[in-house]
Amino acid sequence: MVGTPVLFIAIPLLAAFLIPLLGMIWKESVRIVPGLVLMYLMVLAVSLMGHVAHNGPIIEIIAGWAPPIGINLVFNAFTGFLVTLIIFMGLLVWLYSYRFKSNVEYEPARKYFILLMMLVTGSTGVVLTGDIFNLFVFIEITSISAYALTAFYTGRDSAEASFKYVMMGSLASTMLLIAIMLIYSQLGTLNMADVASKIHLMDPTLKAISFILFVVALGVEAEIFPLNGWAPDAYAEAPGPVGAAFAGIVVKAMLYALIRFTYTIFDLSGAFNLLIIIGLLTLVIAEVAAIRQDKLKRMLAYSSIGQMGLVMVAFGIGTREGVFAALFIMLNHAIIKPLLFFSGSYLVYHSKKKYISDIDGMGKLAPFTSLLFALGAFAIVGLPPFAGFWSKLSFLVAAADNDMVLIIALILAVSIVEIVYYMRVVNRIFFFKRTTGLLARRPTFNAYIVMSVLGIIVLMIGFFPDTVTGYIQAAADSLFDKTQYIHSVLTASIQ
Amino acid sequence: MKKVLVILLLAVVGFYLADVFIGIGFGNDHFVKSDEIKPVKDIYLQQTVENLKVSNAVTSIVVNFRGFDTLGEVTVLFLSVTALGSILYRKRHHAGDRSVLFSASSIVTAGSKLLFPPILLLGAYVFIHGHLSPGGGFQGGVIIATGFLLMLLAYENYTVSHNALSIVESFAGITFAVIGLMGFMNGGTFLQNFLPVGTLNDLFSGGIIPIIYIAVGFKVAAELTGVIYTVLNEKGDQKNG
Amino acid sequence: MDNTYYDLLTYVVYGSAILVMLIGLYAVLVKKSLLKIVIGLSIVDSGLNLLIVSLGYLKNGTAPIFSKGFFELAADKPMVDPLLQALVLTAIVIGFGVTAVALSLVIRLWRHHHTLYIDEIKNLKW
Repeated sequence: MVGTPVLFIAIPLLAAFLIPLLGMIWKESVRIVPGLVLMYLMVLAVSLMGHVAHNGPIIEIIAGWAPPIGINLVFNAFTGFLVTLIIFMGLLVWLYSYRFKSNVEYEPARKYFILLMMLVTGSTGVVLTGDIFNLFVFIEITSISAYALTAFYTGRDSAEASFKYVMMGSLASTMLLIAIMLIYSQLGTLNMADVASKIHLMDPTLKAISFILFVVALGVEAEIFPLNGWAPDAYAEAPGPVGAAFAGIVVKAMLYALIRFTYTIFDLSGAFNLLIIIGLLTLVIAEVAAIRQDKLKRMLAYSSIGQMGLVMVAFGIGTREGVFAALFIMLNHAIIKPLLFFSGSYLVYHSKKKYISDIDGMGKLAPFTSLLFALGAFAIVGLPPFAGFWSKLSFLVAAADNDMVLIIALILAVSIVEIVYYMRVVNRIFFFKRTTGLLARRPTFNAYIVMSVLGIIVLMIGFFPDTVTGYIQAAADSLFDKTQYIHSVLTASIQ
Repeated sequence: MKKVLVILLLAVVGFYLADVFIGIGFGNDHFVKSDEIKPVKDIYLQQTVENLKVSNAVTSIVVNFRGFDTLGEVTVLFLSVTALGSILYRKRHHAGDRSVLFSASSIVTAGSKLLFPPILLLGAYVFIHGHLSPGGGFQGGVIIATGFLLMLLAYENYTVSHNALSIVESFAGITFAVIGLMGFMNGGTFLQNFLPVGTLNDLFSGGIIPIIYIAVGFKVAAELTGVIYTVLNEKGDQKNG
Repeated sequence: MDNTYYDLLTYVVYGSAILVMLIGLYAVLVKKSLLKIVIGLSIVDSGLNLLIVSLGYLKNGTAPIFSKGFFELAADKPMVDPLLQALVLTAIVIGFGVTAVALSLVIRLWRHHHTLYIDEIKNLKW
């Protein structure tokens, strides 16, 4: 072992406090240090994943107080999978934005990289923590970084998008806090495993109220309908890499929290149906909205919301196969949507309004970027043999096993809508005549590397899905095994 | 029309919220009556005397039992200062130009000068005695920041060095994180106490708890002063700005 | 003290805390000025903090501080819930952070639009 899970939080925090000091001595360090930290965390995540595969979950006790007294972190196959994914995406976003705008001055650059690193750290904390109040703290760390990153460009509308986000996020955190207090007032504990083992003692009405408050509060952050009003604006107005970070990192962490509450903590019977209903609503409304968008980033944002709806439905099936499919869709979405954001933001780089019509004929001007965008589009709509095909297939198989014919029909219908609006864009890129005089922007060297890496991963998952399914299966099993989670946390002691 | 709808909505929300909380009850033991339920607060109250020798139970929870939350909390403050700087950043920076320009009377300026040192002293007292009496790092830090606010309001050309604030903030944060990591010594865990705890109600008691709270006090004071100073220096009223 | 007193107090304490939250929520939903919306958000936070602190109160309770005075004078009294007070401390600090960010966004919007009224700012769909 090269370290313990608490380093995922402690090292970035230490670095964040250190960066202002280092920046006074050597200005370039504010760009380099976050990358070094994320690289170290990536190594740590991979080696801990190897450890978990052989020796079982790691329960990290903090401040020497075993659960339920103190706070604990849980690194098992499920949380480890998500942490590795989040940190990997954080590393790619860092690499991409390393020289994204080389003319950005020292002060904003320093703040951008600190905020980006804390966005990754907050999301990691949300996934790792085993305590519901600690979860609230990490959600706030993530949200505050996200608010600031949304308003990073000093343009006209970014502050407005961010203000909208702050309003919704702040009301959501109020609801989250009420729900946490309701649970504490009944059970006298805040530890997730301890709450889960005692939840049956709670008054059913209070239990239902607190569950609904949790779903609403986390639904705001995880872009679930009808609480996702902030998302399209935030995606459209934030810098390109930040949009990718939202899709690849923040939403994944928030969805994790929602799933942890549904699967592990609450034992409500109707919860899964609720997930299916709001998932389907989100999916249908988002995809219908996506087809009406004339701005590229807004279209990608609505598509992202739609994918989250699909993940919710898959979790709502409630079987092992359903969870497997949901995690597979999450993985694919976390890889493909950033690819689309990265390549898309280069395709509309010089366009003022970022309209979809501005990318007509871009295929000849910027063949590499266009090709990667097309690859991402093919993969996300689920054309074989690309990555999205396998996740959609596993989803349909899981739904078919449970005789959910109506849902399958609906999903297939929505998939056609999805294909229509993505293929419309791809068609414009390759087969339309260039009408505007705008030139293409050559990607930086780092952007080439990042986009190629993502493209290769998409192709690899597409042709050899077996390389990742083993990890996803282990993660799904670990989420499903509620008793083992509770037992391993409550019997943890200092090694 | 909209107002009526909103008031109706709020009445419904308020009714259910009140119903839930009045059902829980005020001033009585509201936990579910069962043998399985052992509220953690009882363990905290017991351990803070027996194990940590910290008389203020709130402090021992904030800094030790749930110290990880506090690390996150300090980070939230740090982030909001960073976010403020990033959102309000603009290229041409006129140092010393204040949006709130007024001349305070000599009573205010002299009074502020007189009050400033005692306020700092009170703040320091509050965070040094955080483990013995009500108060602590956050409260003491806020008191110190109000001292700076007073000076900034009384003297229109009073300046605080951004670099100095940033250095204090960084050092305090690093102290917290490093003390946390030092908990790993002797096979302990993150943020675990590794110093002798002393006796209850002594100034030097509680191991690492007062040290962390003093660092938090410095950090909060620097960050709040930074927030006030950044916003005060904002020039908002230019038509062509 | 008798029980009817505490029954009455239940309504007063929780009722006023919830009323504060509702007043803040009203400002967020109805007011047209950005500044008033931010003030509303911070009033909601205050109401919630009051609610949480009053949840931790115990009859005849005393402060959770084991000072010398406690052992001499009040050793038989129950202590109010220290955990909820610690959580409120965290919630206050987080509320402060969010308010600071929201206010800075208001300043940014003022810079661009020279107005605080939401109707004149709406460039994006609300």
